[in-house]
Amino acid sequence: MDFEGIVIGGGHAGIEAALALSRLDFSCLLITQNLDCIGKMSCNPAIGGLAKGNVVREIDALGGQMAKLIDQSLIQFRILNRSKGPAVQAPRAQADKALYSQLAKWTLEREGGLSLFQDTVVDLLLTNSGREVCGVITERGRRFTAPNVVLTTGTFMEADIFIGEFTASSGRLGEPAAVGLGSALRKLGFEVGRLKTGTPARALASSLHPERMREQPGEDEIIPFSFANTKVQRPRVSCYITHTNEKTHRIIRDNIHRSPLYGGKIQGVGPRYCPSIEDKVVRFPDKASHQIFVEPEGLNTDEVYLNGISSSLPEEVQEEFLRTVPGLEDLVIMRPGYAVEYDYLDPLQLYPSLESKKIKGLFIAGQTNGTSGYEEAAAQGLLAGINAALKLQGREPLILSRAEAYIGVLIDDLVTLGTREPYRLFTSRAEYRLSLRHDTADLRLLEKGYDVGLQSVEARDGLLQKKREIEEIKELLDKRKVQEMDVEKVTELKIHQGKSLSRALKDPKVRMSDLVSLDKGLAAKNRDWLYQSELDIKYAGYIKRQERQVDRFRRMENMRLPADLEYSRVIGLSTEAVEKLNKVKPLSMGQAGRISGVRSSDIAVLLVHLAKND
Amino acid sequence: MLKPEGLSSILYLMQKKSLYPQDYNPEESIAALATPWGESALAIIRLSGLDSLKLLSGIFSRDGEIVEAAGNTLHYGRITAPDTEELIDEVMIAVYRAPKSYTGEESAEIFCHGNPAVIKRLIGVLADSGFRYALPGEFTLRAFMNGKLDLTRAEAVNELIRARTDRARALALNRLSGAIEGKIREIRDGLAGMLAGIEVWLDYPEEELEGENDLIHEAEGWALEIEKLLSTYSIGKIVQEGLVAAIAGRTNAGKSTLFNRLLKEERAIVSEFHGTTRDYLEGYISIEGIPFKLIDTAGLRDTGDPLEAEGVRRADMIIRNSDLLLYLVDGSLGLAAEDRELISTYHDNRKLIPVWSKSDISTAGTPEGFIALSAVDGTGIAALSKEMVNRTAGNLSSSTEERVIDSLRQKELLERAFSSLEDVKKSLQDEVYLDLIAVDLKESLDALGEITGEVTSVDILNRMFKDFCVGK
Ligand SMILES: Cc1cc2nc3c(=O)[nH]c(=O)nc-3n(C[C@H](O)[C@H](O)[C@H](O)COP(=O)(O)OP(=O)(O)OC[C@H]3O[C@@H](n4cnc5c(N)ncnc54)[C@H](O)[C@@H]3O)c2cc1C
Ligand SMILES: Nc1nc2c(ncn2[C@@H]2O[C@H](COP(=O)(O)OP(=O)(O)O)[C@@H](O)[C@H]2O)c(=O)[nH]1
Ligand SMILES: [Mg+2]
Repeated sequence: MDFEGIVIGGGHAGIEAALALSRLDFSCLLITQNLDCIGKMSCNPAIGGLAKGNVVREIDALGGQMAKLIDQSLIQFRILNRSKGPAVQAPRAQADKALYSQLAKWTLEREGGLSLFQDTVVDLLLTNSGREVCGVITERGRRFTAPNVVLTTGTFMEADIFIGEFTASSGRLGEPAAVGLGSALRKLGFEVGRLKTGTPARALASSLHPERMREQPGEDEIIPFSFANTKVQRPRVSCYITHTNEKTHRIIRDNIHRSPLYGGKIQGVGPRYCPSIEDKVVRFPDKASHQIFVEPEGLNTDEVYLNGISSSLPEEVQEEFLRTVPGLEDLVIMRPGYAVEYDYLDPLQLYPSLESKKIKGLFIAGQTNGTSGYEEAAAQGLLAGINAALKLQGREPLILSRAEAYIGVLIDDLVTLGTREPYRLFTSRAEYRLSLRHDTADLRLLEKGYDVGLQSVEARDGLLQKKREIEEIKELLDKRKVQEMDVEKVTELKIHQGKSLSRALKDPKVRMSDLVSLDKGLAAKNRDWLYQSELDIKYAGYIKRQERQVDRFRRMENMRLPADLEYSRVIGLSTEAVEKLNKVKPLSMGQAGRISGVRSSDIAVLLVHLAKND
Repeated sequence: MLKPEGLSSILYLMQKKSLYPQDYNPEESIAALATPWGESALAIIRLSGLDSLKLLSGIFSRDGEIVEAAGNTLHYGRITAPDTEELIDEVMIAVYRAPKSYTGEESAEIFCHGNPAVIKRLIGVLADSGFRYALPGEFTLRAFMNGKLDLTRAEAVNELIRARTDRARALALNRLSGAIEGKIREIRDGLAGMLAGIEVWLDYPEEELEGENDLIHEAEGWALEIEKLLSTYSIGKIVQEGLVAAIAGRTNAGKSTLFNRLLKEERAIVSEFHGTTRDYLEGYISIEGIPFKLIDTAGLRDTGDPLEAEGVRRADMIIRNSDLLLYLVDGSLGLAAEDRELISTYHDNRKLIPVWSKSDISTAGTPEGFIALSAVDGTGIAALSKEMVNRTAGNLSSSTEERVIDSLRQKELLERAFSSLEDVKKSLQDEVYLDLIAVDLKESLDALGEITGEVTSVDILNRMFKDFCVGK
């Protein structure tokens, strides 16, 4: 074999997969259509956000790259939901797109054992049995062999883009689609579906009137996404907020028949949560206005991204309605918005390791699995890469649980429920999100990254130290009582006099930042760790209740099911359950219980069956 | 709405406890008394398991015959203790061969004499020969494992055993058709709606959401609904277990005689000696469809006998916990100072029905408010029955309610849902962060989901064979 692993596609999923494989010392080839497009952000110039920001930090804890890339290329940082609770606070950063992409490519280039090659894969090479992958064939007729292939084609497989009446075979505006592979996979018997997504127009910054919009600056202090970075120093820029109005909506309504979505040209299902402006206007006719965020695309470009107004109406219509928006009256469009329709593979065809059930050694990750979003793609890419490597090492796959990582929620949802529309993470998809705070990602996952071999001894020691110091902080707060002189400094402490600081901290009005000024020991501690201790103490009651829920959940998760169980042999299962279970091939009782169409009586039968055969 | 078969199996799952599927071990042979403990003409001991006939042959006089026997055959013989050759009983043994038996395994039923001493000995020798006493529900578990019973039918078996009155059967049927599930689902949907509202607000921090709805108001509404459902538990319990009617009075007032009369059987020992009934006896009767659990208590008197004193202590406890109190005054002796004292002691908190007993030999007139009754000739029994029904009308007034919670498990889960929802309410009032409130809201949802079976958990399963009548 030429390589131990081949990764198809240099998007966010492909980057992580290729790095994981080569960092675990396997020779790896990354084939992508255009090397200059590695790590390109197809849509908005931002990384993170709710749930997604947590995922970025989880990727980092496991030993992935995304957090480091954004730390080095961000141009604005914010913690979202600061005014809401601890579970839904999440970091989000605006990225310098070009820089991000350039850093990604450079990182790959410097990775020993990793080869980059520009070409388009059109088919897979299979072993004689037809059930195992052994390489790929490219458009230019090259053949590369490897026992493992990670497929990350993003929005490119048999893709078409649409702008009003215009269509082209492209995966991104200006980039050709990857044609051939989709049909090849269909021929192999994969269930291939069509999804669509869209992106808004990009405009020239100097054609806008920022004074007519509301400025949204970033926060002064940047919390690094990567646990390995203690400080991030980057230039900051602002975003701007403006709104559509009735005039905008009227223009859209008047031209709706020219939209490929409403004209019936696009068959693929689009994301409900991230609708185009056409969708918003049609589906929410009573809403008088929609928000638009004007986001810079980078430091060395004047292009701006118009977040919230994705559209595939004809270009002149886009220009017309955009110009009704305050601040955009004189806007100059540099690239129009468009919709893209592409092939995806039903993720029910995968094991939780992201390996195909049909073809051994084939791992699938990213948008190809029906997800959308850079973070979701990167997370899957990382896990696919890790699991391909673990497979080469003859080790058990790494499968994260829903209770320990958003990544666990993501992959479990995909392989258990499948998806019929572009899937993205929300905090509400996670049942136990209080346990999945972004600041605890390292506590949850770094050890696993170390076991896999992607985290260094130093990183693990650092984590142990962090754990120790957080314990120390908590002890200190338990022991130290509120004294009279403390009350003078922090009046909120008055009612807590004589009680411990940790008791006082449970009071919503008392903040850790107040306490730090009272005690030298505290003041000397790392800020992040103080913050973490604060959340742990403040919400201890809720966290505990959630942990009880998690315990209940774990008991079902820990009951393993063999992947090769033939469910038609289990007496007592309903016909529908047999069909669904045979399709999903769940690996745990918990997973089986989440499959739609599997009833609790079926689970009872399974439990009994398991108990019998133990 | 779940399909009936799904529903009943879920109910089934939820009502059983104590027996775990892991307990299933077909290699072990099990035995249990299938008829109630106590004196009776006949008793049946049920055996099941891989080697049950071989094990049985060791203590049966016709050992060769039974090992060879075909399924569905009867064999007469003696059971003797294996070592001492002591004769224990003459019995009839029914032999069943796998898979044509209740459990689907090799099985036997021993028909022996219904004398507790004999039964005890018999079970003792069975244990010595290698049988294990079955756990509650274990026969049904085996039947289920062997595909003899699906969950639905297993459930039906249990319900049938437990339903004592037509009303209980009707309510069980109603449960099977999803009345409670429908209600719980409605509440669940409501809570899920609230949670969804919160989630939207949390997941779209950049969007300005209009019309944040009145969550406190909603939480209150749903808490009320849960409370309503919870309040039917007492009715459900009554229908399932009967209203507890204690018979009390001084010694020799005729309590045991009345108890037997109402039960229409000779259960309690009646004698002219004071203090004969030292412990209490229970029996079930149904009057006009209302189930009563009658309890005959020890006579109430100060006594030097420690055993009798214990009986009196227990009687006091039973009386305090009963729903009805039939207080008997010996009409042939008249109202004693002690009676007045006891009546006033129990008067305030009990639904006391004063009874003037032995009316056939009573000379004095019946005092105001008393029901004159003779347990010997039957006078006044009808009047007492009518009074018992009247007194309970209050308890059962809402029994027209079609949805009735009857299992302790359902009640506990509803309580969990309720208290979590109370936490939600409180947190909303205190303006706690919504993502924290969501934790409690989810807890409430989970608890409700466990009732309908939408939440599957090991707990549910472990409750599988709870409350099972041993030997069934
Ligand atoms: C128009 C548009 C709108 C979007 N809108 C949103 C949005 O609103 N919200 C959101 O969260 N996300 C959106 N995205 C999605 C986001 O870009 C992706 O989720 C993310 O980039 C997926 O990462 P990936 O690694 O799976 O694929 P991609 O980033 O698409 O990368 C795939 C890479 O693989 C290469 N490739 C594909 N096939 C082959 C092949 N056969 N051989 C060799 N190379 C191949 C491609 O050239 C490409 O470089 C949008 C994307 C597009 C194009
Ligand atoms: N004549 C008559 N004797 C009764 C009646 N009820 C009970 N007795 C007698 O009273 C004695 C005590 O009865 P018993 O039921 O044992 O009283 P207890 O101690 O209250 O349980 C027995 O000798 C009964 O036969 C009755 O209605 N009429
Ligand atoms: Mg008595």
